[in-house]
Amino acid sequence: MTLFDADILTKYTVDSIRTEDEGIDTFLFSLGCYEGEPIEVVSRNKNGCIVAIKDSRYSIDLDLARAISVR
Amino acid sequence: MGEIIAILLIVGIVGGAIYYIVRAKKKGVKCIGCPDSTNCKSANCQHCTCHHEEDK
Amino acid sequence: MSIRIALAGNPNSGKTTMFNALTGSSERVGNWAGVTVDSKQSLVKKRYTNGLDVVAVDLPGAYSMSAYTSEESITSTYVRENNPDVIINIVDSTNLSRSLFFTTQLLELGVPVVVALNKVDVNEKKQTIIDIPQLSRLLNCPVVETISTVSKGLELLISTAVSLLGTKKTSPYEQASMDGEDKDAMIEADKDRFDFVNDIVRRVETKRPRIDNNLQDKIDAILTNRWVGIPIFALVMFLVFGISQAWLGPWLADLLAGWLEAGQSLVADALAGSSGQLDIWSSILVDGIIGGLIAVVGFLPLVMVMYFLIALLEDCGYMSRASVILDPIFKKVGLSGKSIIPFIIGTGCAVPGVMACRTIRDDKERKATAMLTPFMPCGAKLPVIALFAGVFFGDSPWVGTIMYFVGIAIIILGALLVKLITGVKNKKSYFIIELPEYKSPSLLGACKSMLSRGWAYIVKAGTVILVCNFVVHLMQTFDWSFQVVGEGAESTSILATIASPIAYIIAPFIGVVAWQMAAATVTGFIAKENLVGTLAVCYGVTNFINVDDMILESGASEVAAIFAITKVAGLAFLAFNLFSPPCFAAIGAMSAEIKDKRWFWAGIGMQFSIGYAVAFLIYFVGTLITGGVFGEIWMPILGWIILLGIVAVYTILILKNRVKKVG
Repeated sequence: MTLFDADILTKYTVDSIRTEDEGIDTFLFSLGCYEGEPIEVVSRNKNGCIVAIKDSRYSIDLDLARAISVR
Repeated sequence: MGEIIAILLIVGIVGGAIYYIVRAKKKGVKCIGCPDSTNCKSANCQHCTCHHEEDK
Repeated sequence: MSIRIALAGNPNSGKTTMFNALTGSSERVGNWAGVTVDSKQSLVKKRYTNGLDVVAVDLPGAYSMSAYTSEESITSTYVRENNPDVIINIVDSTNLSRSLFFTTQLLELGVPVVVALNKVDVNEKKQTIIDIPQLSRLLNCPVVETISTVSKGLELLISTAVSLLGTKKTSPYEQASMDGEDKDAMIEADKDRFDFVNDIVRRVETKRPRIDNNLQDKIDAILTNRWVGIPIFALVMFLVFGISQAWLGPWLADLLAGWLEAGQSLVADALAGSSGQLDIWSSILVDGIIGGLIAVVGFLPLVMVMYFLIALLEDCGYMSRASVILDPIFKKVGLSGKSIIPFIIGTGCAVPGVMACRTIRDDKERKATAMLTPFMPCGAKLPVIALFAGVFFGDSPWVGTIMYFVGIAIIILGALLVKLITGVKNKKSYFIIELPEYKSPSLLGACKSMLSRGWAYIVKAGTVILVCNFVVHLMQTFDWSFQVVGEGAESTSILATIASPIAYIIAPFIGVVAWQMAAATVTGFIAKENLVGTLAVCYGVTNFINVDDMILESGASEVAAIFAITKVAGLAFLAFNLFSPPCFAAIGAMSAEIKDKRWFWAGIGMQFSIGYAVAFLIYFVGTLITGGVFGEIWMPILGWIILLGIVAVYTILILKNRVKKVG
């Protein structure tokens, strides 16, 4: 499943990131969002969600949420 | 008498303003008075060493 | 040769706050990533350097050396190519694991590094403990605790940095050398680096277990909810504009204008002599120079209050949330939430706003945002808005506020036009923005920002605007034979004859051929404040703030009679000046940022056409509704010709794009 349909306030681990955009991949990586690292959805609304990565909060849009698979 | 004083004042004030503007332009200030102006990239970069890099 | 120290670190780690504290600058600080876009240099205050000459360079925030955004490439390029003597790595102690990733990369460069462990006060509150000596051992570099917001730890930081001059330490982590082209190898290397960092963090940090869904998260959920978030944003903006334009601002301005005018009267009396009248040159001094100056400076309180409130807003961290709310709307018109940063900066001045567009990755988005940023009323346009609100609408708080929202609406409309004319099929755009922790905004910081901007306003008024007012008054006083223009023969003055052609072009939305209005529009391109100054000089008015006084002085039974145009025309003229191309400085910034000649001229064209169209529509519809008169018949006809011409051009461009897409 992706962040798009993950439950909120549940700890997940990043499975893979499929953005086809190397720049975003590298950026996410530098934040600590890459395969094997923990991630959690804090809240969600129609246009995206707020995720917690390594003690920081980020708002991401739907496209990005769908591109990050978690387990 | 009053008029002469007025003319002198005008010359002084306007002259001073023009002098200030000319001096600032020489220093590379793009917008007079703006606190960001010496760092604005819209002027010719004199101090900053950054390059115009296109985003990847 | 002075010592050069580079300040590097993650976005929002407190670099610029520290830079300001060390050097005494007041560079723009905001609690959201993307505020520092260039590198800035300044001398460090002597009391921190023990008398040595030290230059600090504030670099934009970066998460790593492999550049993703242009801020990061500035940093990595600077560090690699300019060889600073020492690097101070400002680390947000509340987010150690993410910060240290960059730290380990900096340590590999061979330049001495000092880690400034910043925001330790926040950690204390959160009861997070960091073992500093252990951290220093593991990183093999000095670590100094700092709190940049209160300038704590700075002396020790600088002295430690200076003591490292010329030293070389072994880096705790060496990235295995590899093929730079091999992506997988790079990713693996980065993962290894992160493992190393995580290990360090595990060993030095003791945290209280994090409460998920804490208060800040709850607030965020509300603020970013689209049903609640947008009205809240609108309310916040309304309050900002209302307080600065309608309530506190004008009240302060009234006081100020009163004093300034008293001063002006003194000068006038002193120069008047026995006849009680001012001769030509005295009049130029008192009415032209001093009067024009008072007219502009009188609005200073409104500008300062606005800057103060915006500074508070930026500092508390709300802006990134606003960015999140607006992202879906902006996406529909081909922009993204990232564009809000330049627009908000543009409410101060369009020049840094346009510059901030550099953080936008997508080429088209960036160019579009740069073209649209000037539509946001800037600080220089505030006096213009206030003037018209005062003269025509009784200082109603709604005028200013509506103009800002109209600006936003025009930005959305303009973006839509850009998208229709140049749009490509919607490619995936990924929007991600950090939501920093809320902090109570620094009142001191906001005050400093307000004062520095206020001073800038005064300087601008006393130089550029003063000279313009002087020239305008000269041109208005004399005719082409350099004779003084007599009463009733004003239209023979140099100014009137030069401005006349333009007066005819703008007549369709003013209702009369007013060379004064035309002259004001033209001087407005040098500085928007000139509109106020030029109108003051041309109409012989000084105090625009206290409108009652103005009536008394001129004897006009109705205020607007001084300008001899209707309220609707006043509104239309205001709209034209707000939403047409900005001052030359901002145009220059647009040119530098957009670079592409075609896009640049398209942007100028769009600004002119939208400004004219909006103004004419306001005038035409407004006059119909209020049952007014259109002036001479050729005016609305000319207006419609121009308007239809504009619509035709846009339609053709949009259709051309449709054809291109299909074909």
